[in-house]
Amino acid sequence: MENLLDINFLIDSFPAIISRLPVTIGIAVGSLILSLFIGVATALIKIYRVPVLRVISAIYVSFIRGTPLLVQIYLVFYGIPKIIYYMQIEYGWLQSADVNSIPPEVYALLAFSVNLGAYLSETIRSAIESVDRGQFEASKSIGMTPAQMMLKVIFPQALATAIPNLGNMFISTIKDTSLVFIIGVIDIMGEAKILGSRGLAFFEVYIAVSIVYWILCIAVERLLVKVEKRARRYERGIA
Amino acid sequence: MIKLENVHKYFERQHVLKGIDLNVQKGEVVSILGPSGSGKSTLLRCINFLEEPTRGIVEIGGRRVDAQSAKKADIVSLRNSTGMVFQQYNLFKNFTVLQNVMIGLTSVKRIHKAEAKKQSIEILERVGLADRLDHYPAQLSGGQQQRVGIARALALEPEVLLFDEPTSSLDPELVGEVLATIRKVADEGNTMLIVTHELQFARAISDRVVFMEDGKIVEEGTPEQLFNHPKVERTKQFLSRANRND
Repeated sequence: MENLLDINFLIDSFPAIISRLPVTIGIAVGSLILSLFIGVATALIKIYRVPVLRVISAIYVSFIRGTPLLVQIYLVFYGIPKIIYYMQIEYGWLQSADVNSIPPEVYALLAFSVNLGAYLSETIRSAIESVDRGQFEASKSIGMTPAQMMLKVIFPQALATAIPNLGNMFISTIKDTSLVFIIGVIDIMGEAKILGSRGLAFFEVYIAVSIVYWILCIAVERLLVKVEKRARRYERGIA
Repeated sequence: MIKLENVHKYFERQHVLKGIDLNVQKGEVVSILGPSGSGKSTLLRCINFLEEPTRGIVEIGGRRVDAQSAKKADIVSLRNSTGMVFQQYNLFKNFTVLQNVMIGLTSVKRIHKAEAKKQSIEILERVGLADRLDHYPAQLSGGQQQRVGIARALALEPEVLLFDEPTSSLDPELVGEVLATIRKVADEGNTMLIVTHELQFARAISDRVVFMEDGKIVEEGTPEQLFNHPKVERTKQFLSRANRND
């Protein structure tokens, strides 16, 4: 009798796939953190109309939005070692960096940070601009510095507004990390591919890996609901 | 205490303040009255540079700032010597009542947290809100929010308090508690500049009343002079019309 699925193989593949979860989560969370910095910086550049930087950041955002993520990953993976090598030879810079010893995870992290940063840029800008003008004025009136105003008053309120959008982008990023195996990172997708080729059971392992992604995303969504509630707790008025 | 010399403000081409001269002595309470669009709020906001005057001189406590050559440090100094109470309260929404009052002490004046907390609670007691320390602004009535706004401004012990239509967004039944608080603050000897539509209140609380129209000070004097014997026709009109509405 012909079996549609090798159930045992499918079940057995879970432990190995799950063992790579830290790679997937690490790249996703790491790039979320780095991209928040990029996003905030580019948003502020746009809001305060910083000359020169404003143009550079606009080109950056446009480029990232206008090219496929896969291409960006390749650009980082092949481009950065070449650039480092070129600097070493031409200028004698970065001598301590050994291009061959940089693990692919680093390139993955960079590529995803740069990618997500561009998408966060607009979300963060509109969140900051959605904060009531009076909040800025009150901060200034008591003599806060611009940095204090942003860190203590504006960002916390902007973040509360931006969390649903940030969350959606973060979930997309988790799923997009399935591309990193192409540069040699063994994440949950990479592991699934290896297992699949070993047992010639691709359908089974991809079912398994899809279940892992699915559960991960559900868990993150749940978490986000809690985070949002916490970030907006101050908005609850007298019921 | 406050000295304004020939202050002008343009928004684009619109000439909103047309050369304002004003002196306020230490401990004096001065109300600015006038129809909407007369520039009275703009004038107040020019004093702490929430609006930058186009030209003119703003002097507070001896520190002269020429609008055309104002540096960041000048603006910071003006803001440190003034406290502002806003029409829309503008409490920090993400902070509790206590934090709203404390933040200026801890991050601007760099006072130690425990001490800042003690001082803030004392001030909140003065405005009658010591029982709402851990509430967020959204959990308070407008009147309570505005009293916190007053406490926040008082906390930094500014040389001058600026009130920008402090009761204009309040439900009528909440106006009283805020006016009572402002009166209390005035009785404590603070130097105050109040932009308001509450004519009777202005009359009762002020040492001096200034009437503005069309970006200029039309007339000023004691409440008695201005309300009972206005010299300028326009002031008479405004006060009589406003009196009818009271």
